[in-house]
Amino acid sequence: MKKDIFQISPGFEDIMPAEYRDLIDNGPFEKNVGVSDLGSFKELLEEHPLCAGCGLALSLRLILASLPNPEDTIIVGSTGCSALAFPQVALHNIHSLFGNQNAVASGLKRALTLRFPDKVKDVVVIAGDGATADIGLDMVLQSWFRQENITTIMLDNEAYANTGGQESGMSPMGTVLNMAPKGKKFPKVSVPELARESGCAYVATVTPAQPKKLGKAVVRGILAARELGPSYIQVFAPCPTNYKFKPNETISKIKLREKEGTYETKEYITAEAQELFARLEEGKK
Amino acid sequence: MYVKVRVDEDKCIGCKLCILACPDPNVLTYTENKKVSADENRCKGCGLCVANCPKDALVIS
Repeated sequence: MKKDIFQISPGFEDIMPAEYRDLIDNGPFEKNVGVSDLGSFKELLEEHPLCAGCGLALSLRLILASLPNPEDTIIVGSTGCSALAFPQVALHNIHSLFGNQNAVASGLKRALTLRFPDKVKDVVVIAGDGATADIGLDMVLQSWFRQENITTIMLDNEAYANTGGQESGMSPMGTVLNMAPKGKKFPKVSVPELARESGCAYVATVTPAQPKKLGKAVVRGILAARELGPSYIQVFAPCPTNYKFKPNETISKIKLREKEGTYETKEYITAEAQELFARLEEGKK
Repeated sequence: MYVKVRVDEDKCIGCKLCILACPDPNVLTYTENKKVSADENRCKGCGLCVANCPKDALVIS
């Protein structure tokens, strides 16, 4: 997609919303910006209805800022808290059925490869932990087995936060939530290991407490998905509303969990992906 | 009750840590004189920027 597709027709500038005009003048399209340039350009996300201090909103903002090729990226979302923010994202995005996001993305990627064989089109799945690890685990695993060239990003807030706080597969053992009063009976599902064993070229767990690391992981995941195969990124996004902590403690909670060792940031790279990253990073210098 | 963020420009050193901690887009922007400025109308008042500022240059009130 070139910039002139969404350019305002001459004579209509005064009736377009101020945010749209700002996006065309200062947006990140065709500029090659990253996480460290945040604050100096108009972001792809607009005012969203998520709670104050939401870790998911922070992660989404950092992910959208670090996309390597935003004008040719299509986002596939799913039901959950993240779905409330997608209408405010200035990118092509699809809302799929709950848990169906990776199946939709597989078909979309194949169709785009047939329709635009000479262009790079990135398909990125951004869904919550319920859609990825519980309801959609079937579709997610099958898309990895088939070696589809898509990036799967999980925003892990460790609960079904949108519907009042039920336990999800990603909640830690013993968690008590509004609608899980007895505490969770089994430990957190280890999706990064599942991803590594089912053939992902690049797997990473990151947190928004380290924004530059998050940006690097997103770029690496998309580059690996372009050439090698599926990639998986898990982003920890604690929920102040359902876990009952103050909104200004989101980042200190992440740091505390990392210190305790209950949430690890890790990276699995296959030998092929390592070679690819070495080649691409050499080309940059 | 409305709570909004305010930036003390004398204390701000332009490290951008608050911009990377804010969950809402386009609230904190980086100005040409290497300081941070806040758009109070967009702020939800969560206080994550205050918790992350090393110089106490931000206030939620």
